[in-house]
Amino acid sequence: MTDMKNTDMEEINIATDVLVLGGGLTGIKAASEIAGSGYKVILVEKDAELGSKKGPELIGLKEEYKGLQDLEDKIKTDSNVEILTQASLVSAAGVTGDFTARLSKGKKVIEHNVGAIVVATDFATGSLNEKYGLSPADNVLTQSRMDELLASEADKEKLANKTVAFLVGLGQEGNPLVLERVLKSTLALQEIDGCDVYIYAGDLKVASNGLERMYKESREKGAVYFKLTEKPEIIENGKTISFFDTVARRNIEISPDLIVVEEELRADQLNERIAEILKIDVGPLGFLQNDNVHFFPVRSNRDGIFVAGSTREISGLPSAWTDVENIALEVRDLLGDGKKSVAKNKAVVNEDKCVICLTCYRCCPHGAIYWGDKKAVISPVACQGCGICASECPMDAIQIGGFSDEEMIEEVKSGVASGNGTPRILAFCCQNSAFEAGEMADIFKMQLPDGLRMIKVPCAGKIDLDYILNAFVAGADGILVMACHPGNCKSEKGNTYAQWRVNDAYRMLEEVGLEKDRLCFVGTASNMGSGFSSIVVDMEKRINELGLSPLK
Amino acid sequence: MIVAKRKPFEEIKTMLKDYKKVLTVGCGTCVAVCLVGGEKEVGILNAELSMARKIDGNPIDLGATTLERQCDMEFLDELENVVDEYEALLSMACGAGIQFLAERYPNKPVLPAVDTTFIGANRDVGWYEEKCRSCGSCVLGWTGGICPVTMCAKGLYNGPCGGTDDGNCEIHKDQPCAWFMIYERLAAQGRLDLIMEFQPITAWQNQKPRTLVQPGYEKREEAG
Repeated sequence: MTDMKNTDMEEINIATDVLVLGGGLTGIKAASEIAGSGYKVILVEKDAELGSKKGPELIGLKEEYKGLQDLEDKIKTDSNVEILTQASLVSAAGVTGDFTARLSKGKKVIEHNVGAIVVATDFATGSLNEKYGLSPADNVLTQSRMDELLASEADKEKLANKTVAFLVGLGQEGNPLVLERVLKSTLALQEIDGCDVYIYAGDLKVASNGLERMYKESREKGAVYFKLTEKPEIIENGKTISFFDTVARRNIEISPDLIVVEEELRADQLNERIAEILKIDVGPLGFLQNDNVHFFPVRSNRDGIFVAGSTREISGLPSAWTDVENIALEVRDLLGDGKKSVAKNKAVVNEDKCVICLTCYRCCPHGAIYWGDKKAVISPVACQGCGICASECPMDAIQIGGFSDEEMIEEVKSGVASGNGTPRILAFCCQNSAFEAGEMADIFKMQLPDGLRMIKVPCAGKIDLDYILNAFVAGADGILVMACHPGNCKSEKGNTYAQWRVNDAYRMLEEVGLEKDRLCFVGTASNMGSGFSSIVVDMEKRINELGLSPLK
Repeated sequence: MIVAKRKPFEEIKTMLKDYKKVLTVGCGTCVAVCLVGGEKEVGILNAELSMARKIDGNPIDLGATTLERQCDMEFLDELENVVDEYEALLSMACGAGIQFLAERYPNKPVLPAVDTTFIGANRDVGWYEEKCRSCGSCVLGWTGGICPVTMCAKGLYNGPCGGTDDGNCEIHKDQPCAWFMIYERLAAQGRLDLIMEFQPITAWQNQKPRTLVQPGYEKREEAG
């Protein structure tokens, strides 16, 4: 969001070590990829062992598991990778390019200065036995237990001549990865002499690489699928499974030797704690996903902090590794050779005015602000120039390069005073959406009122309450605050702040005795040229009904 | 910090109705931190007032300035050269600042734009909680760091009273009982013996307007 006016640059040094949190299938790959780019990696794992010996969920993925073990062996001997097992993150101060991470291992606390942080936790599994009315017994296995049996040659032999029933997609809304585990076990069981497999399934979620093929292969080899709309009747803790087949018009009863219950896949319990320490967003169900069209999926709301694989959504090994490869590219782009050129005037704090009230620190969606001895400090690397801080500062102590209060008020005043056309409508336009939409409307010669003046802001979060009120004082007949659509703000909350301020201004206009309809908040997107036109034309109509401002 | 809130706009407008030229004076300390009386709020209030007065057909000329602190005479001196240009001063400082401003410029009407509310702490942006009634005789050392004067509806120095009800106060189920919290905190710290120590009621001197001279300055004051 760097503005063209930011030409005064300086070069700063940044840390190039990278912290990777989680030593599972995602973390091992991340450490390997990033170390492969030439950066030192500190890999932190809470357990005693790294990924390849961890959860049974990995054992189901046999072919990839081999590759994982190779990677694990490789990073263990890589001098660029420092592995800390039975360790955890305690705190992380600072900003992108300069984080100070404190890690605890036993009673020791180790401090590391890192330039970037990658959160690479894996998913956890949970039993769904209860959903099927089953309790643990010799004949009732979880999917993880089945995976374990199949991984051991000795246990595998014991499965010969067994009838195995799988329950999947009836205890939860399915997920391709859940089905993948069932299909892999089924194919493995079909290799064993005399094994019969029955699968009781709700919807079969095959939307992932190779699942359709594996499903067909298992059928061809004799697996029997029962597609049901509700759970079958389970008698005597799984001794017998029965359901009414509407085609055959009779009950189908099977008595399997073993019954395998699907498992739910959920976010790692550590996620929320990590998110709290790193000040990044937690999405639904504990995943650290940042659902924002402006970001690559692996980016968090803070520059320099990335989320990979099952940290952000349930991912099997291939998609988790794709995430990691993307992160490795982002890390290279961010850290480079440890030198970074940044704009000097992106956001400048006036030391004389700042009272260290911490408002900016608390409001910054990018975690770019901390405080020093006498004033708030804004990191030029982490700052995205949105201006939310500047507009919330109670002392007007923060100025954004190219969008200072003085320049903005001047633009407001000249916008109201200059040229022809009434009614005079000022539109504060976010440069990421409304401003581009407005330019499009103009270039394509769509209808625009003569009295319209567009004022560009770096983000709707920069639209100060002051600007809105001063525009009315200067004689504006109508004001539009044009932000990105909800959930679409590049600075996450800039549009929300703008909306709050407009609501605040409504209250004030009411107190003052000016019609509230003269002020309007709208969400826009950059491709809404004709939408922009109709919004401003509607506004003109509304103002014409109200008449010109009494403040002229 | 001292926490204040903006007066209702109508009240401010009524106070100013007979004046045509007014200087709004912000304060860059507590009231700036609690988002009510810093430079930004001065600008917003002035914009509101000038709109309202213009609509009423009675325009007002408003000046704006924000001082470091209105509770120090030295900073108030900065206004000396401009005060005469205005008919009245509208202060956005706490009650102490407003009174000092009025004392420094006794010939000018000094009007309050905020209501001083309490001494409190900042829970989140714009969210404050009262923590201290400045009773003049702090008991926090015996009460596990929880103030019964502020938190207890009766301001009891020795509690709890018979009205404590499962952690809440008899006045309202949403009002936590201060002495219950004190008990819990002291019990957790293994310092419950402190709750049995009898605390005398606050001295009368704390119930009237007080003056404070820090000990190191007493002699200097006498000499001066």
